[in-house]
Amino acid sequence: MLHLGHERVPVCGDVTRRSFLQAGAATMTGAAALSLPAVLSLEAAGAVEASKQEIRNCITIFLVGSPGQVDTWDMKPDAPAEIRGKFKPIATNVNGIQICEHFPLMARMMDKVALIRSLHHNTGATHENGQRWMMTGHDFNADSMKPHSGSVLSRVFGNRGMLPASVVLPEKIGNTGAGPLHGQSAAYLGSSHEPFFLQSDPSRADFKVSDLTPPAGQTEFRINARKELLKQIDNVQRKVETNSELGRDTAYARAFNLLTSPEAKTAFDLTKEDDRTRNRYGRNTLGQSCLMARRLIERGSRYVTVNHFETVFNISCWDMHADGGSLNNTYADYEQLLCPQFDWAFTALIEDLEQRGLLKETVVCVLSEFGRTPGLNPRGGRDHHPGVWTNFMVGGPIRGGQVIGSSDKTGARPQNQPILPPQILASIYHAMGIDLETTMMPGPGSRPIRLVEAEPISQLFS
Amino acid sequence: MDQRFEGTPRAEVRREGQRLIRGEVANDWGSQLVWSIRRNGEVVATVPARAEEVIEFPDATPGSYEAVLRLFHYEGYEKDKDGKYTKSKFVDVSNPVVWTV
Repeated sequence: MLHLGHERVPVCGDVTRRSFLQAGAATMTGAAALSLPAVLSLEAAGAVEASKQEIRNCITIFLVGSPGQVDTWDMKPDAPAEIRGKFKPIATNVNGIQICEHFPLMARMMDKVALIRSLHHNTGATHENGQRWMMTGHDFNADSMKPHSGSVLSRVFGNRGMLPASVVLPEKIGNTGAGPLHGQSAAYLGSSHEPFFLQSDPSRADFKVSDLTPPAGQTEFRINARKELLKQIDNVQRKVETNSELGRDTAYARAFNLLTSPEAKTAFDLTKEDDRTRNRYGRNTLGQSCLMARRLIERGSRYVTVNHFETVFNISCWDMHADGGSLNNTYADYEQLLCPQFDWAFTALIEDLEQRGLLKETVVCVLSEFGRTPGLNPRGGRDHHPGVWTNFMVGGPIRGGQVIGSSDKTGARPQNQPILPPQILASIYHAMGIDLETTMMPGPGSRPIRLVEAEPISQLFS
Repeated sequence: MDQRFEGTPRAEVRREGQRLIRGEVANDWGSQLVWSIRRNGEVVATVPARAEEVIEFPDATPGSYEAVLRLFHYEGYEKDKDGKYTKSKFVDVSNPVVWTV
């Protein structure tokens, strides 16, 4: 028996294929940049029943630009100075595990964290390659795009309540140097499973969610009046048009509902949080995005991606080339901004989820595109290096306090238990409660395919 | 979008014996937080303050001391040829504590 989402489908005979095609066809629409009504319209078209089995949530913090493994979570204090770099390791609350001195708060919760120190990929060292691997579990070209993991979860689990199943905060990834394919679309799953992109900075005093904020001058009365008018038009259309148009109909209704829904507005409204909580996450883009992620998960979203930066150019970010130009990130950025900001926000999120009883049902992943060169470049920076890097997972069924895999003595290659990106995605899906052997999704050409061609990392769960 | 730190962080600090004690930082930007300790006007110690609200500062060298909490204020990634930020900088976010040894 297969599951298409949570619809059980026999795997043999004509019935299987017909059932599959029926279920899949509704979602076979083109992906595009979408407004909220468009997202909702296609969500309705592809919605699957909410599962009765245990489903967990996921918050992914994606460190765009990619921190250097040797400077953060896989330090090499015995290596030569040109490799080990400037920072020093500190002990954590788990014997034998050390991390960078600029993550002092994370060091105190290492018993909850599973570090994966042998992650690598074998394709080109562009940001986009790494993003595609880590956001979809696949490498691909424009003619074979694969869906974002949040879109897969949307397809498998469907929606809970008013909120989109998959949300990306604060912005989708933009220019990272080598093209537009970042792996943040629903691809062939169809626009109904496109993530909802906030496209706004929740740390700003004037923050508003554009899709949830009525245009200037429009009161709720006027919105409802327009809704009624649209309903009348749609009633006429309904008599003559197809089922897909009905989906659009429903979507507009849901968009209007979102516009006026106290539940949705509340989920995105950080002013509902007390100042102490907002301070604890950090009054910056990452911190307030992490806080919003918790609010969204708490209120029904399944999968929230927090991009720590949407570009690598002309900003302070993890892409530490120290090139003196538009990529002039250095140890100063790591020490004074990036590491402290991450340490403060990440630990706030974990503490907050735990205090609310949400950590056991929420998997938190910290992912990046690749590692950085073990040797410092002549300017004191580090360049792209997919040869090995460290990412980590917390929460849900993840067993913390462990290190999976290792890199060699200079942090250049995996030494033990090499891990590839699809294994991370398989582990996320497994951690969220998906049986990868029985849960399939429609692939290109309407044939059922596995969510990802890899097995979960068993050590994470043992 | 680049980050923009808004609002004004603020914390209260005090000294008890050899201990420097800080309260929570209101409107905390979440960036690097340090104690900056001066003796006779010269910085003699910069101590991480994020993980601990209390530090020991037992230096008994004679002089006039001042301790203040500082937070990194990001205003841009730009740096000069020596790698120093040209816009971003540490700013004082607490009252100063002064004492004489």
